Parts: sequence; structure tokens; C-alpha cells
Amino acid sequence: MGDKKGLLLDTTLCIGCGACYEACKERNQLPRTATHFLEDRLSDQTYTVVKRRGGRFVRQLCMHCEVPTCVSVCPVGALEKTAMGPVIYHEARCIGCRYCMLACPFGIPKYEWRKILPRVRKCDLCADRLAAGRPTACAEVCPTGATRFGDRQALIEEARARIRAHPQKYVPRIYGLEEVGGTSVLLLSDVPFERLGYRTDLLSEPLPLLTWQVLQKIPNFVVVGSVLLGGIWWITNRRREVQLRERQQRELREPSAPESADSWHEEP
Amino acid sequence: MTRWSFRRPSFWQLVFAVILGAGLYSTVVRFTGGLGASTALSDAFPWGLWVGFDVLCGVALAAGGFTLSAVVYIFNIERFRPIIRPTILTAFLGYVLVIVALLFDLGRPYRIWHPLVMWNPHSVMFEVAWCVMLYTTVLALEFSPMVFERLRLERPLRILHALTVPLVILGVILSTLHQSSLGSLYLIVPEKLHPLWYSPLLPIFFFISAIALGCAMTIFESFLSYRAFRKRLEIDLLSDLGKVIVVTLAVYLVLKVQDLAGRGVLSRVLEPTYEGRMFLAEMLLGVIGPILLLSLRRIRTDHFGLFVSAVLVVLGFIMNRLNVSITGMEASSGVSYFPSWTELSVTLMIVALGFALFGAAAKYLPVFPETERLLASSLVEPPAVAVLRRPWIGTTPLVLILGGLFFIGAMGSAYSGLQHRERTLAAVSTREESEPQIAEGLKHLEVPPDVTFPQGEASPGPVIFRHASHLNWERPDCTICHHEPFRLLKASGSAASSPARDLHDERHCGRCHDGRTSFSVKEDCTACHRP
Ligand code: SF4
Ligand code: SF4
Ligand code: SF4
Repeated sequence: MGDKKGLLLDTTLCIGCGACYEACKERNQLPRTATHFLEDRLSDQTYTVVKRRGGRFVRQLCMHCEVPTCVSVCPVGALEKTAMGPVIYHEARCIGCRYCMLACPFGIPKYEWRKILPRVRKCDLCADRLAAGRPTACAEVCPTGATRFGDRQALIEEARARIRAHPQKYVPRIYGLEEVGGTSVLLLSDVPFERLGYRTDLLSEPLPLLTWQVLQKIPNFVVVGSVLLGGIWWITNRRREVQLRERQQRELREPSAPESADSWHEEP
Repeated sequence: MTRWSFRRPSFWQLVFAVILGAGLYSTVVRFTGGLGASTALSDAFPWGLWVGFDVLCGVALAAGGFTLSAVVYIFNIERFRPIIRPTILTAFLGYVLVIVALLFDLGRPYRIWHPLVMWNPHSVMFEVAWCVMLYTTVLALEFSPMVFERLRLERPLRILHALTVPLVILGVILSTLHQSSLGSLYLIVPEKLHPLWYSPLLPIFFFISAIALGCAMTIFESFLSYRAFRKRLEIDLLSDLGKVIVVTLAVYLVLKVQDLAGRGVLSRVLEPTYEGRMFLAEMLLGVIGPILLLSLRRIRTDHFGLFVSAVLVVLGFIMNRLNVSITGMEASSGVSYFPSWTELSVTLMIVALGFALFGAAAKYLPVFPETERLLASSLVEPPAVAVLRRPWIGTTPLVLILGGLFFIGAMGSAYSGLQHRERTLAAVSTREESEPQIAEGLKHLEVPPDVTFPQGEASPGPVIFRHASHLNWERPDCTICHHEPFRLLKASGSAASSPARDLHDERHCGRCHDGRTSFSVKEDCTACHRP
């Protein structure tokens, strides 16, 4: 657990300077997509934005869920949750079904709609920098500590401590502690989270459980189903054979018109 | 052939050619311009018509095939044997067309085989992919006897014959999995799909409605192929299918009501909202209407009555799948989606190809049982009960009136739903954007240390740049300088990448020190250069 990294975003500390936005663009070598960063939105060329919401500045980026919906829905395993926390994308596997985009509860993955060979794009929590023991680019440049990088567990303690120190200021809740099973990106705020554009009606269980409940029954279904159908066939077929034999015997006694011509698998 | 029946195909051929032409053009647009240029899809709405109609509805075409082959081969109910072939053919075509549609929809169609070797059993889409591959194979094998028979190839026929029962069992299992898994796809979006459609029972609803659709398609095709080739199925078989539809839809209706009530959203069905009205339309058209029509013996034993009921089932079914995939997802996505003409024309082309292939197969392959015999039997009037009492109204007008009522009712409901659409969508997308307070953060603000620029050759003195004096302390915004002019926000955090060229120019200090925003670089040198 100690190895799991994360970010703590404290909206009360954010001054909306846009340094994180620029640092992200720089690190990922993304082109400019807006005249002013506050007017930009997430896209295939923008992995994080700072928004003006509810009288605060608030960042938006991939939450790097603990049990990521996007990873579970990808049919070819093109998305992966790494041990250190980042959810990363293996471009060479992706078939472009866009199920990850449909399924992500935070609406994060974006698609290169304009390209002939499009990729899914999103924040990867600077996985390469993390592996090298460095913080994310956005956390490194934040001048106020509104974006803090660290061990997820330590950040949770820190967030708890901040709430304890200023109980009248903060909304008594760490966003991302339980949402869809927890996320690597955690938020603190002094205004209700829904006013910041963060959904508070998400389930607290990981969403992949919803489909896994059904999927895990498949092997059983196949085995039981085949045996059952085979059994039914065995019984009904036996009955039919008996009937056929009886009919043949009857026909031997009194020959009648031939049977229907349309059946294509008539027993010989 | 009469003149009329001679001219009709040429009209349809014309329509077909137009559809094909438009579709091919769109195909070129799709594969040269990408998905963005050819579809109305967006980041907020990644699945549209190609998934909602082509895939979700195309797969369901196969439901008739597996239901009836189970009935005939597993349960050995021989009466239905003549229906098997058209349903298998429909199923096979359905799957082939689904694969074609997928090639359009996938961002990287040439990687369609990836799920074969790259596994993720936690993904419903993975299950879907395997079902498509395996069941298409099974269907091809089940379909092939028609071809072999036609070619009089005895050996493969015998082999396939021996394999029939295992194949059918495999097919039933796969198909059950597949129909339901399309519903399971949406289990993962509880907070996105509107509660009228999101339900833990989605897989079951998809499965049941697919069976009803499969039976309805069989009736529908029998009617069409009679008009085209004078080949069709016996009325008593079709009317039994009608019964199956009634029972299936009734089960569906009961489950649906229970489910809605159980989740406490039953009242929302009647609310005058976009979703409520569309839901009502779908239920009237595809469930309640057909149940009522087909419960009437007169309608169920009449070719035209069966046909109209089947059309209602098919339309209602399509509406259901579109509602799940589009209507129900629109509000949460915050955008409105309407397919582009490219999406529409490709879809039309795929449907037209389906009809054409079915027609060709019905014409050249032994799909429908021997014609003469069936014609003879269809000349026999439906059971006497209908004729005994003189009906107060002819069957055809009755069908038209009832069917028309439900159709108009549903369309009216859908129309009123569309009236609410704008409002529903607008309500979601209005997001508060008040002026932000710059809270606590300023107290914590740490500006980077001063930067001393080394003295140049002709320079009157070195320049010390102070962040603190270049910041608007009321509203700090680093990106005024740090996006283009000074790309200082290096990942390393060092100032190493500072511009080596003339700092006076309009890309650097000169950008603001231009005499308007601030004093000009051309004025007093010692304002910056301290000797
Ligand atoms: S926020 Fe979305 S994209 Fe990011 S890890 Fe979670 S599910 Fe995946
Ligand atoms: S679009 Fe790519 S990454 Fe996303 S679910 Fe499909 S295959 Fe996986
Ligand atoms: S760098 Fe820090 S203070 Fe500036 S916008 Fe980003 S989070 Fe807010």
C-alpha cells in the first residue's frame, strides 16, 4: 500500500494560476487548445483543466481509480492499473471500441476523433516520472500546495488532518476516498463537491462489480446449460425414435403416402 | 409474370442502387476522414447509431434462429421445422452485417481480431467479441447445408448432419449469452443511463425482447418473400409464432413493470419528460400494441394481421435499443446527439444489403420449403371459427385501425417527448460559473526565486527578474507569461530552457514592456539593467 502514489487537490488553496495546466501541456508536448486556460476543456490534447466552478478554481483530470472502470471494460486490456497507482494506456492493443469512454464515471478518456488511426487520450499520472521517483509535473509546479503529490495513504492522513484543523472551513469529506471504490486523486473543498462539478451520487462500490456479478456466472451457465439442453434432447429424441419405429411398423402393415418432403434432416 | 410484378423489382433495384451509392460514398468519407469527419459522435457521446442500431438490433435478428432451432432440434417439436431455415438465414445475415457495422464503428477496425489473443474476461465487451466470433461460425455451419444442398454435395451435408445437435446446443448457449451481454454492456453506467432503462435486469430484458423480435422477423420475412417470390410459411405455424410473441412480450411487460416499481421509478413513466414519453412510445409500439393485436384470434390467423403486428414488434424493438443507447444517455452526457447523414446512409446501406442478401438466398437456395405444397396449403382458409359468425368488421380494416392506433399513439408520444428534449438537455448542461474567490491559497503562494540574467556584451548591466513584482497579486495567473514567451515550466523545474535569443523582442519581455501594458524596452535601460 505504501507504494501507491496519489494527488491531493485542495480547492481552498488553488489560486487558478494555471501552472499545472501549462506543466501538463509541456510534459506531454501538447499544442495550445484555448486562448486562455480557464476556457479550455478536456480533450485529446488537454489532459487536465482548471475550471471556475462554484466560486472556486477546481482541477479536472483522470482520477486514477483504485478499481478503474475503464480498465475493467476494455476488451483487450489496453488500459492498465499499475502498482504505483497510475492508470496507463497501451496504444498498440486498443481496437477503438470506446467502451472506456462510455463507462468512465468521470467522463475522462477522450478520443482523437480527427485522426484516421485514433487513440484514447487521458492523463497517465506521469507514470514515467513516478517510476523515476519524481512527482507529477503538475504537483511540481503548483505554487500554493493546492496540488500535492505523495503516497496515497499519507495524503489521506494529511487531508484528515486539514479537516480536523479547520472543521468549520472544509466540507467534512474527502472526495475520492470511497467514490467508485476510491481514487488516487483526492479532493478537499469548502463548498459542496457537486457545485465544483464533481458528482456526489456515485456508488461507493467499484462499478466493475456490477458487470462482474453477471460475467462470473458465464462458465457455470455454459456447463449447466449444455448439460441441460443435451439432456432434454436425449429425452425428446428417444421419444421421437420410439414414435418413428411405431409408425414404421404401422406402415409395414398398411403402406401409405410418403412423408413430407420439406424436412431437410429427415432421419434415414 | 404480370407486368406489375415485373416492374416492381426494377423500382426497388433503383432504390437499392441509390442507397448503395450513398452508402459507398459515406464509406469513403469514413475511411479517409476518420470518425470525427464522418459521424456526429463526440467525447461526450462516444456511441451512436452504429452501435445502437446496427449492432444492438443486428444481433437480435439472430434470436429467431436460436429459439426455433432449440424448439425443433432440442425439444423435437417437428412442426416448426419449415421455419428453421429462414430464421437461420436471418441470424447469419444479422451477424455478418453486425461485423460489417463494427468495421465502420471501431476506431481501429483492422485490430478487430485483438480480443482473440488479448484477453480481459472482466470486460463485457470481451464476452461480446467472443460471442460474435463463435456464433458467426456456428451460424455459418448451420447455414451451409442450404448451400451444399443446392450444390448437391453429399459428404459435407452428412458431416454437418451428424454435428447438428451439438451445434444447436452451442448456438443456443452462445446466443443466450450474447443477447443478454448486450444488455450487460450498460450495467456499468448506473449513473449515466436514465433510470427508466437502467436496471440490474438489463441482460434479461435484452434477452426476452430479442426472442420476441426473432419471431416477429420470421413473420415479417415470410410476408415479404411471399410478395417477392410467392414463397411463404404456413399460416398455422406463423400464428403459433404469434402466440409465442404474445407470451414473451407479456412476460417482458410484467417483469418491466415489477422492475420499475421495485426501483421506485414507475411514476416517471407518465411524467411529461423527454425520456418518459420516449419510453411510453416504445412500450406502446413494441409491447402493448402487439400483445393486444395478437391476442385476437382473428388477427393472429390472418397473414396481414400477423404482418402488421410483427412490424409493430420490430419498430418497438428498434426504438427500445435506440432508447437505451441514445435517448437514455443524452441527458447525462450533457450534449444532444443526432446521427450524421454519413452514419445514416451507412446504416441504410447495411440494412439494404441485408434485404438484398436475404432475397438472393431465398431465390437461389432452398430456404423456404417446397413452394407448390405451401401455396396449396395457404389457400386453405384459416380455421372456421373466424368465418362462422359474421364479423362486424373485416379483418384487414380491423388490423389497420388497431395497428394504426398504436402506431399513431406511439408516434404522438415520441413527438411530445422530442418537444421536451431541448428542455431536458438544457437543464443538465447549465452549469454554474460564478466569479471565483481566491481563497486561502494566496497565503500559501510561493513565487519562484528571483532570476538573475547574465550581463550581455553591449548591456549596461545585469537584469534581476523578480517574480513577485511581475505578479498580479489580486488574481495571480502564471500562464500570462508561462505559455509561449517563457517556457520556464520545464519538467525539471529549472530555468534552463529560458530563451537564448533577444529578450527584448515581443515574444519575451517586449511582449508586455511595449509602452502600453507597461513601460517600453526602448525607454530607460536602467529601469531593468542595474549597473
Ligand atoms: S477516472 Fe475514468 S479514466 Fe481515470 S481511472 Fe477512473 S475510470 Fe479510468
Ligand atoms: S477504446 Fe481502446 S482502450 Fe478504450 S475500451 Fe476500447 S479497446 Fe480499450
Ligand atoms: S498550479 Fe496549483 S494553484 Fe495553480 S491552478 Fe494548478 S492547482 Fe491551482
